Amino acid sequence: MSLSSVAVVVLLVFGVGVELVCCIGVLVMRGAYDKLHYTGPAAIFGPSAIAAAIVVRESFSQAGVKAILAALLLIVANPVVTHATGRALYIRQRDHLEPDEGTR
Amino acid sequence: MNAWLIAATVLLLGLVPCAIVMVRGSIVEALVGLQMAGILEVVTLLLLAEGFHRAPFFDLALVLALLTLAGTLVFARMLERWV
Repeated sequence: MSLSSVAVVVLLVFGVGVELVCCIGVLVMRGAYDKLHYTGPAAIFGPSAIAAAIVVRESFSQAGVKAILAALLLIVANPVVTHATGRALYIRQRDHLEPDEGTR
Repeated sequence: MNAWLIAATVLLLGLVPCAIVMVRGSIVEALVGLQMAGILEVVTLLLLAEGFHRAPFFDLALVLALLTLAGTLVFARMLERWV
């Protein structure tokens, strides 16, 4: 078994493990705010590890570059989506976006 | 069956907790479950594309990542206004 094969397996196990742990976190945590925290590692570490594994295997070919692009897209998009979801929950709970009177 | 396809199959198991959250949680928790499921699906498509050695399949993962972003944003906007 070559060194690159070992690296691919390690990266795959790490990426899949992070994703599964985050799924369990989303299931177990109470409340949407706590659940939202677990989408972060799932969108950053998991796709990065998988993309790295693909690059180790394919080098910077068409497949490798597209894998990096997909991982980058997830990394950039996740904070935006998380913010939008948190904002939606905040507005639904308080019926407005501004801070309550006397809390500034 | 190679390591990529095994990883993709294992990753699909992660959709079960997401589905449970979507079915049993509040409507915003369901949105979080949807967001998580989208991430899982993109990564699974990457693994399947590599596992089947089909470079064009990577486009599916890219397109799904874009559509997941747009779809979740639309849902979030709708939840804060109408539902």
